[in-house]
Amino acid sequence: MSIIMISSDVAETEAIIAGKVAEEKGYALLDRRVLHDAANRYGVKPERLNDALENRPSLLRRLPPRQWRYYLACIEAEVLDRLLVDNIICRDVGAHLYVNGVSHAMKIRVLTGKQACREAAEREGGSLEKAEKQGFRMNRCRTAWSMAAYQKDEADPAGYDLVVSLDQIDPVEAVRTIVGASAYRKFQSMTYSTKCLTDLALAARVRAALLKSMSDMQVQARDGAVVVTARALKRRKREKVEAIKQLAGQIPGVGYVEVHVRNNIFRKAE
Amino acid sequence: MAIITISRGSSSMGKAVAEQVARRLGYRLISREVLLDASSRFNVPEIKLEKAIHDAPGILDRYRHSSQSYVAYIRSALVEQVVADNVVYHGLAGHLLLKGLSQVLKVRINADMKKRIAVVMKRDRISADEARSRIQEDDRQRRKWTQTLYGQDPWDASLYDLTICIDTLSVDNAVDFICQAAGTEGFQGTEKNRRQVSDMAVACRVKAALADEFPNVSVTCEYGNVLVYTGAGSDHSSGKLARKIDHVRETVEGIFHIEIHSGVAVPEEAV
Repeated sequence: MSIIMISSDVAETEAIIAGKVAEEKGYALLDRRVLHDAANRYGVKPERLNDALENRPSLLRRLPPRQWRYYLACIEAEVLDRLLVDNIICRDVGAHLYVNGVSHAMKIRVLTGKQACREAAEREGGSLEKAEKQGFRMNRCRTAWSMAAYQKDEADPAGYDLVVSLDQIDPVEAVRTIVGASAYRKFQSMTYSTKCLTDLALAARVRAALLKSMSDMQVQARDGAVVVTARALKRRKREKVEAIKQLAGQIPGVGYVEVHVRNNIFRKAE
Repeated sequence: MAIITISRGSSSMGKAVAEQVARRLGYRLISREVLLDASSRFNVPEIKLEKAIHDAPGILDRYRHSSQSYVAYIRSALVEQVVADNVVYHGLAGHLLLKGLSQVLKVRINADMKKRIAVVMKRDRISADEARSRIQEDDRQRRKWTQTLYGQDPWDASLYDLTICIDTLSVDNAVDFICQAAGTEGFQGTEKNRRQVSDMAVACRVKAALADEFPNVSVTCEYGNVLVYTGAGSDHSSGKLARKIDHVRETVEGIFHIEIHSGVAVPEEAV
């Protein structure tokens, strides 16, 4: 009964390892296919959600920061709801960056390093140096994305329970190691860790609902009580509190809403 | 039949993990022995060697190159120790000093800053602030040392085969992972791997013999055939290096043939 989140510096490797672990454990696999359901649920285009997972906000891409945050919130809400089911392998939806404080969610990073560069160079008929440069550029983009979205460096090993490099370790052995680790008691779901995940999922649902029409929002949830921290102009404060309470109160599972509004001295009221 | 290096930040339980791995696999556990060995072989006080491998080189060191010589001595002593195989090394910079050897399982143990502070507070009976600043200073020195001598960041996970977060996993869990990985095919001591280690031992002996006078030379060895790489010009043309090489040929064990390559690209595996 656990959640295994797999991330890698190379998407193909991530897919292979996640697939094998899911097969070995008999767990369901949660990946970008979930974006279709999220898109249906929140009435947005799946391509926009996919774009938000790939890129940072950009006016050229018609992806303004506020919209980008909303898309990410929609993905988070959908993914966290799916993770409540347990016994699941999760990849490629950035869950390792926003599922925090849930002890039964095991975070694994698989590094392909030079081996992947060699394979890419062979595949494309280019030099190893060129493949290495391209890999470096891609990783730098991923780091920039994760920093912008969650203030975390995706490549930082401190964010994972285990990092395995495939330079010397065979992928089959890596899968065996991950499967073995997932059986540890620490990664089994317990009442408290399940409650933490439920709270995260509720907070994500509320945030997604609020970000549809507002911005600059932080949401925390605990046992059905939701605390929202937002910004507003002094004269619009009461109005904003009411709007937040009304929107958040409609989300199933929300029992009580507390709103903290800080003065917004730089932006116009929404 | 592997060589395991365990790297960690200070107070990150790396020693406990190394001891248990060595016990479970029946391997030799080495750490400070390397410094003692280097100290006696090269007649350098242990404290100087310890400083050279721990503290980042200062401004004067960059001109005197003493740190580079000391690191060459330590590397040579470490490689001599691992020639026999079945070793767990939990001293500093093992993953860098043994770089290029395929049967070395490089492990990194990471611990949360809060836990590290708690360990230091309990051990040294000091305040949390003092413990934090000690740990941060130690980390800063490690980072600077690795970047100055090897141009890499010790926290970079790509330098290791396994990076284990000891906060969520226990020491026992970490030991399980390491022992399981050490048993895999890639880390077995094959004939080819053993030759690679003994060649590296010869290269390190030569490098240590030259490091004091020629800190910028690089050395490779294959089947006892040693190649010494120098930058184009000075050392080689003056004949000083050639005379030194003649002396090295007579005194260093394991050399079948030795020659100098000047002004050519240095191979990645060179020491």
